[in-house]
Amino acid sequence: MTEAPLKERTASAEEVELLARLRAGDERAFEALVDRHYGTMLAVARAYVSSRAVAEEVVQEAWLGVLKGLEGFEGRSSLATWIMRIVVNIAKTRGVREARSVPYASLAPEGEEAAVERDRFRGPGDAFPGHWRAYPANWNSLPEEVLHERDTLRVAMDAIAKLPPAQRTVITMRDVQGCGPDEVCAALEVSDGNQRILLHRARSRVRAALERHFDG
Amino acid sequence: MIAYKFLRPDGTSVFTRFTWPLPDDGPGPWVDAGVDPCRSGIHACRRADLPLWLGRSLYEIELEGEVREEATKVVAPRGRLLRRIDAWDEATRDEYTRMCADRAHELARAADLAGWDAVVEPSVPEGPALLGFVAARIAEKISGADAYHAERRHQADWLADRLGL
Amino acid sequence: MAESHDHVSCSEVVELVTDYVERALPPDEAALFEQHLNFCDGCAWYVDQIRTTVDTVGRIEPEEVPPDVRSQLLAAFRDWKRS
Repeated sequence: MTEAPLKERTASAEEVELLARLRAGDERAFEALVDRHYGTMLAVARAYVSSRAVAEEVVQEAWLGVLKGLEGFEGRSSLATWIMRIVVNIAKTRGVREARSVPYASLAPEGEEAAVERDRFRGPGDAFPGHWRAYPANWNSLPEEVLHERDTLRVAMDAIAKLPPAQRTVITMRDVQGCGPDEVCAALEVSDGNQRILLHRARSRVRAALERHFDG
Repeated sequence: MIAYKFLRPDGTSVFTRFTWPLPDDGPGPWVDAGVDPCRSGIHACRRADLPLWLGRSLYEIELEGEVREEATKVVAPRGRLLRRIDAWDEATRDEYTRMCADRAHELARAADLAGWDAVVEPSVPEGPALLGFVAARIAEKISGADAYHAERRHQADWLADRLGL
Repeated sequence: MAESHDHVSCSEVVELVTDYVERALPPDEAALFEQHLNFCDGCAWYVDQIRTTVDTVGRIEPEEVPPDVRSQLLAAFRDWKRS
């Protein structure tokens, strides 16, 4: 498993074109940029500050920073990476100012966390140690409607809301916003291995919440 | 190189769900690994690997290009299914499952190992792959890792003999 | 008496599942993982549950820009354009 920093992409052809439109003052281009990155920016900010309200302020401030830097942006990183770096810098400053300083190390996963309660597996003295005592349910046999109903989505959203900040940010970036692992590593300043541990813990907790929901 | 491949009853591969073109009167068409969504190539078993990958239907597969030999499988850039091995049918699967279950009881009783009888019979309905693992796991519990591998070899020999491979 | 490292248990599978679906397991470990899924319905269903979880989270609508924020940002963009 590689812990090496992922190779950074430079601005794509699409971004170069978008950049030209922005610099020419194209409002539609700016709106498209805001729509594309707003959710991810909010998720990133929330890893560093204590509340949603402060995170929203960070994102707004970050957009002003983006405008300020737009002329000077040279495209040596992707536009998205550059924007997230602005968010991170502002969020970190705010995090310190609101005395809920989140030191760098604390976004990396801490301690041990079991994906599934350990007592669901047979113990070391058993004939078949580590094997399920009772199998988890086969969700493929659930009616499609159950998986798609609003309640199910609500359970997943509530479970995400209750996650520790770094886990919540990673699952939101990866599975809601569709970001790649490299974007998470850059935004949270964690290794690829650590972003995967955070993702693992987050998905495991959301799975457990869905299991409680389906099993009643 | 000639190797073996287990597929689901509908002709898709077990893990990637790739739909294999099946052999008809003659061999099926060649498949390039780029077509298979599995990242590293076409996966197949040698005779000794068979017990580790038991599935519902078994095919003989011809592999071409640079075949990479891994610990428990081979990986190739190109392959085609030559024929279905009809001898791997429900009756043979049941017979193999029974053979492994009996082996498991025999090993456990000889070593006076408590608890395993309660594991073996309830596992039988889950089929041959699980019972093969259970038997090998008991052998390992009694005599260590070498016994695990010896039990797997015994299973591979049984399959090769019964399927005429 | 050494136990074989040539198999994984269900309690290990639930911890390796993300590395597996993210394709981050080294080939030999991925092979052991798949061998386990091949004989263990419980773990095969567990991996399916994780995939269903990812699909479900993927259906959550991304945060939309609140209208007042949108107008403030557009105003800032117009100011920037003028300067």
